[in-house]
Amino acid sequence: MLKLLVFLPVVGAALLAVAPARAQLQWRLALLAALLALLLVGGLLLRFDPAGAAVQMYESQAWNVRLGSYFALGVDGISLAMLTLSAVLTLVAVIVSRGIPGGGKLYYCLLLLLESAMFGVFTARDWSLFYVFWEATLIPLFFMIDRLGGDNRQRAALNFFLYTLGGSVFMLVALLFLYDAAPGHSFAMHDMAQGGRSLPLPLQLLIFAGLFIGFAVKMPVVPLHGWLPLAHVEAPSPVSILLSGVLLKMGAYGLLRAAKTLPAAFQAMQSWLLLLALGSLLYGALLAWRQQDLKGMVAYSSISHMGVVLLGIAALNPAGFNGAVLQMVAHGLAAALLFLIVGLLYRRTHRRDLADYGGLYGLAPRFAFFIAFGLLAAIGLPGSAGFVAELHVLYGAYGRWGFAALALGIAMLVAAAYGLRVIGRFCQPAPAGATLADLTRSETVAASLLALAIVVLGVWPTPLLTLVGGSTARLAALFAGS
Amino acid sequence: MSELLGKVADLVWLVPLLPLLAAMAVGLRVLLGRCAGDAGEVPTARLSELAALGSLGLLLLIDLAVYWHGWPGQRVFATWFAAAHWRGQMSFLLDALSLPVATLSALIGWLVVRFSAAYLHREAGFHRYFIVLGLFLSGLQALLLAGNGLLLFLGWEMCGVASFLLIGYAWQRPLATGNALFAFVSNRVGDAGLLFSLGLAAYWAGSFEWPALFDAQLSLVDLRVLVLGFAVAALAKSAQLPFTPWIARALEGPTPSSAIFYGALLVHAGVFLMLRLSPLLAQLPDVQVALVVIGALTALYAWLCGLVQSDIKSALIFPTVFQVGLMFVAIGLGWTTLATWHLCLHAAWRAWQFLLAPSWLQLTRGRPAPPPRWLVRSQTLYTAALQRFWLDRLGIILLAAPTAAIARDVRALEENFIDRVIGEPGRGRAVASDRPLIQADGLPGRLLALLADFLQRIENRLLLRGRGGAAERLLREAGRWLVTLEGLLEQPRYLMMAVMATFVVIL
Repeated sequence: MLKLLVFLPVVGAALLAVAPARAQLQWRLALLAALLALLLVGGLLLRFDPAGAAVQMYESQAWNVRLGSYFALGVDGISLAMLTLSAVLTLVAVIVSRGIPGGGKLYYCLLLLLESAMFGVFTARDWSLFYVFWEATLIPLFFMIDRLGGDNRQRAALNFFLYTLGGSVFMLVALLFLYDAAPGHSFAMHDMAQGGRSLPLPLQLLIFAGLFIGFAVKMPVVPLHGWLPLAHVEAPSPVSILLSGVLLKMGAYGLLRAAKTLPAAFQAMQSWLLLLALGSLLYGALLAWRQQDLKGMVAYSSISHMGVVLLGIAALNPAGFNGAVLQMVAHGLAAALLFLIVGLLYRRTHRRDLADYGGLYGLAPRFAFFIAFGLLAAIGLPGSAGFVAELHVLYGAYGRWGFAALALGIAMLVAAAYGLRVIGRFCQPAPAGATLADLTRSETVAASLLALAIVVLGVWPTPLLTLVGGSTARLAALFAGS
Repeated sequence: MSELLGKVADLVWLVPLLPLLAAMAVGLRVLLGRCAGDAGEVPTARLSELAALGSLGLLLLIDLAVYWHGWPGQRVFATWFAAAHWRGQMSFLLDALSLPVATLSALIGWLVVRFSAAYLHREAGFHRYFIVLGLFLSGLQALLLAGNGLLLFLGWEMCGVASFLLIGYAWQRPLATGNALFAFVSNRVGDAGLLFSLGLAAYWAGSFEWPALFDAQLSLVDLRVLVLGFAVAALAKSAQLPFTPWIARALEGPTPSSAIFYGALLVHAGVFLMLRLSPLLAQLPDVQVALVVIGALTALYAWLCGLVQSDIKSALIFPTVFQVGLMFVAIGLGWTTLATWHLCLHAAWRAWQFLLAPSWLQLTRGRPAPPPRWLVRSQTLYTAALQRFWLDRLGIILLAAPTAAIARDVRALEENFIDRVIGEPGRGRAVASDRPLIQADGLPGRLLALLADFLQRIENRLLLRGRGGAAERLLREAGRWLVTLEGLLEQPRYLMMAVMATFVVIL
């Protein structure tokens, strides 16, 4: 079943490649593939038993016996949440890609390949397989930014590629170290976890440093975030959705997996993780506050909100882990919504400056509504998924550090300042004679899907919490003594 | 029959609730726009009247039950809220003090509601009046029947708000609203005393319930502080010195409301509170002496002022204050039964007088009696009485004017310093000229802008962002070196050298 899920988008991409290059047909096929993937994920959700075993639907085949690597797939609560998020966001990305200018065929192929690689990352139960899928996400993304991005796209794509590749090299070296150090010489996650836990602290710290650099570039954590603002600003809107919605979460997901392998290192580095998280939080929020460029603002706010995830993970307690996963989902939805709408707006007007959007509420109320909604959801307004997530993180971090967690409040305050500035600007009277086409039907459907998910999870987070709770509790149990 | 009657005391919570429900029903009708015109007045009046009658009937039944079953005493119905070890309860104390006074009040309330229906016919605020009257009747019953200080305070405040709303009934006139404010603020002084004492009671005695408070073994000093707060509240509500001026200004409202508030019922609330606390008062002779002195002085003051009043409502209110002063004297002397009788008789009599006041000109022929000869002869005393001993003016000069001056100064501080330092929305200046929408004001705003600028510099200089940052420059430099190296390596001589070096290493 998991294999089917991982390779279904590849089949879809192959079909697209041989199908005639008519835009409408291509879009329909891609939509079908994305819908099927979502249905499959839905099936997984139904089959998954939150109270059951840690890893379910596990399947493993020897891949390279001499190296001890396996083609092993399996899901737990955290990976299922991420799978659902990826499937939903890919669907949204396909929906809003209708009528994307030029290169429809290549674009949809790449999009589906990217989906396949993301599914692979979230289901892999073997570190070598994880690494392969991790790198596999880079290739479609590089070409999508490079071929379809804005004016600065080549530089942005190269920048993105180099940064993440540089991070991956550290990750690879750390994995090889771990493989070498761990008894049993196997890449399978649970073998490595057992081996890693028994390692002496200095070695664990060394391995942790390598893995963390790899994940922190992806997340991103200040000061390794240099690729993000440029890539987000230049990427086409649907790619931004996946980039901020799913790709950033891969870093946090990897970190959660690493926590299982190197608990002693996480505990030793806990204070540093806190510092990095608070740094990301405030740095991102302040720079977002300073941008008048709408897309740049959203990009920097992403850094700030991923700082919340890191803060949750760094707390190393159940509430923190739960909050981190919830925030991954919540930010995935909110950032996707924001990038979606801002990208569509840019496609219409070719302007990104906030000053050009005075009176948007009068001109295109649906645009204005969804941007305002996305900004408020990103701040974590009660009733949105972000609120539940931030509350969990705040609770977890407070339990660990006390009032240091207040920095989260300051970052949210700054976030409210720039969010409300945008909303206030939209509500000003429109300049005379200006016109702007509002969201089309398919775009409204995509945005509403995201908004609905945000509200539902905000009002009724229990299903998600149950789904994730078992896995995070197991993870937190490793740190219970501290 | 008598068993059924015995159970009726369990329904006492309905007594304050019925008028409140009626007020809410009337309010709902107003909101729904169902009471336009003359036809709309009838259901409003009927509802209020029924509720008042219901309260009265219920109280009468309870009184009847007393004949067979004795005084019901303290009845607890529900817990309002509870925190840690102390709790606010819905409890009623039905004894020889509260039941007679409550029954009489319900009777007067019912009569006044009936009277008002005709008196306020076609007035602009007809429905508003009945809503507020319902609120008042509910609050008054809660105050009288309360088994604890909290419920009494609730009723006390409901009455205060209702009084404020009815003095300002004709809100179009600045004089009416000004007087309403004056009365309300004067009463707040008493409310502060009540709240203070309730807090102390919770702290020292651990409970708001009257019986628990009476049984608490407090030291005399504590008890004195406790009772003083209650006494201030009672003096303010009953318009004793130095709070007397508010009551003369409170006559601004419609006549039936003046009758029920200041003639008959509300003015006696302070007396009632002192009677309720008489077990505590009996332990404090000095406080009793103070009550006697204040009561006597008020009586003297009201008597002198009453002699020179020229309009009917003022001529009635000063005798009222005079009588209430005498009640305080009686309480101070420990004659609580006399004070209770005095209260009831005076309330009934004065309600009748006030309701009659608008018809007074038709009922009397002849001129009113002139002030007595001795008063006219003493120029100073006469002027003082006419000016009501300048208490009004004194209050304004000593309290209101300094407060206003302080408020002005604080406002100036706020405008000129605090607002500037903290920053105000909408007043910010652009941080940089190329981004006019990024604005900051005040100290936090400036700090934020500075910090953000600093971080942006780091971002641009140090990070590889394609804007010629330092990291990018370094990488380029390294790249150039590598290219040079590669070029060199491609030349045969260096290639050979490299191959040989490799061999050397291998060997």
